[in-house]
Amino acid sequence: MSVIAPNFRLSSFIRSILDNLFWIIVLVTLAGIPAVQIVLFYIEMPVIDGELLTPFLALTWLADPSRVLPIVKALMATDFFRIAVFPGFGLAALLAAGTIFVERKMLAKLQLRVGPFYCGKVEGILQLAGDGLKLISKEIIIPAKADKPIFWLAPVAFVGTAAAFVSLIPVAPGGWVVADVELGVLAVFAVIGFFPIITVLSAWSANSKFPFIGGIRALHQMISFEIPLILSLLGVVMLAGTLNLTGIVESQGSFPWIVFLPVGAVVFFICILAELERIPFDLPEAESEIVAGWLTEFSGMMYGLVQLGTYLKLYAFAAIFTVMFLAGWHGPMIVPPFPEEIITDGIVLGPVTATIPGLPLFDQAMLNGTIWFVLKTVAVIFFILLPRGVFPRIRIDMLLSLGWYKLIGLSFINIFIALGLLYAGVLGPGGVI
Amino acid sequence: MVGELAGDYGNILLMFGFAVVAVGPALIISRMVSPRRRSNPVKFLPMECGQVPKGEGRTHFMMQYYAYILMFVVFDVMAIFLYAWGGALLELPRSATLPLIAFLGIMFAAMAFALHQSRRRNIW
Repeated sequence: MSVIAPNFRLSSFIRSILDNLFWIIVLVTLAGIPAVQIVLFYIEMPVIDGELLTPFLALTWLADPSRVLPIVKALMATDFFRIAVFPGFGLAALLAAGTIFVERKMLAKLQLRVGPFYCGKVEGILQLAGDGLKLISKEIIIPAKADKPIFWLAPVAFVGTAAAFVSLIPVAPGGWVVADVELGVLAVFAVIGFFPIITVLSAWSANSKFPFIGGIRALHQMISFEIPLILSLLGVVMLAGTLNLTGIVESQGSFPWIVFLPVGAVVFFICILAELERIPFDLPEAESEIVAGWLTEFSGMMYGLVQLGTYLKLYAFAAIFTVMFLAGWHGPMIVPPFPEEIITDGIVLGPVTATIPGLPLFDQAMLNGTIWFVLKTVAVIFFILLPRGVFPRIRIDMLLSLGWYKLIGLSFINIFIALGLLYAGVLGPGGVI
Repeated sequence: MVGELAGDYGNILLMFGFAVVAVGPALIISRMVSPRRRSNPVKFLPMECGQVPKGEGRTHFMMQYYAYILMFVVFDVMAIFLYAWGGALLELPRSATLPLIAFLGIMFAAMAFALHQSRRRNIW
């Protein structure tokens, strides 16, 4: 009979927990609390109801349910909230997690399997959490002659770059974007340009043959498809007349650009597939030829981080497609307006009346925009996932000739379609539409 | 003015930093809770499908498609230059488009020539 932990002793287990507790308390007292105080000293606190919010007042008000909402609203207006939660990392990570689950289930259904089934009772809904726990408890093995600093840094930099990509996406009207930069489209290309570098660095640093071959393939593929990707978005920029992503979404108020530039949309979609290394363009990770391509030497949580970065990147590309061609947050108003009597009279429950200042928490347009944006993005993600169950992998020479001959030609045609629409007087200032 | 412009881009860096700070601990925690056994040196060898690895990891690798990389260096920059024109197209007079058409023609012809050269296996 095999024993899972032959040297297990309850006393030493309890002692290790107590040890950890001791060190946590010591570190929090000596470093944590001073750090919090230093941070609080430099943070500009908001003014609520004519009173400057101090940490003491904030803690007091948190105990009073009727005064929590102003604090929450003030928190939502900060940059940190945008970066960490709503249009930034939180939303992207949530959608990425959903994508992983849906991909596994959908792929299984396409191939007449069941997919994740046991973890979490209902259709394996907790499979992702289980995988995360498994990855975090696995040993990280680094090849003996690897370039250790770069090898450690690569997964973290990959996730960071993917997050920087996410930060450029406008999600809802009213400035719900992390970085609303003037040259948003160029910033997108700049961030995309880092992915091949990180890939090649990690592949080179691993000192192993399969990652090296995979890295070279990834380099060829990513940079070959970067030119059609850049050229296919030029038509949209020409018609919208701005490089700002928020401005591009606002220019699509009456119709999305996919109506006029379907060629560009198709080219951009194929380039997305290639940049994301998804089937049929998954040559850098071709598991039947070169083990796992440039991910071969990653183990444990490092592999998990690369996967997280990949899916953040997938969400970001799908969102860019939505912003560029599918009119972003525009859509019919489906969210009902917030009831006026709750704002004026408060909530009446029999004899008790609760007046809550600070309602409504979200404005109607923002909720509606978010819903439409997420729906469109999820639809695009679905179409990115779908080829995986259908297509085989193609050869690298087919891939390169597709990118360099056909897609670049089509994206030039797209530019001329946009020019023609503009100069025939259909679109643009003084146009028919 | 310049500072304001740069300040907008600062949020991208902040987001990068936040992601690094948020996922970095995953590696540290993983290093703390996972087993680390150094008993067998074989497991630190590079992966070569169960065989003992031969030769160096960073080998000289024949890149048959080197021409495409050279072309990328040229045409990526040219494609980005088009954005300076595309972003301001609505404010430009129509006569300003003709030189750009000529530029596109040069770019297209150069690309066709480069692609033709990249197909000639004997020179690479």
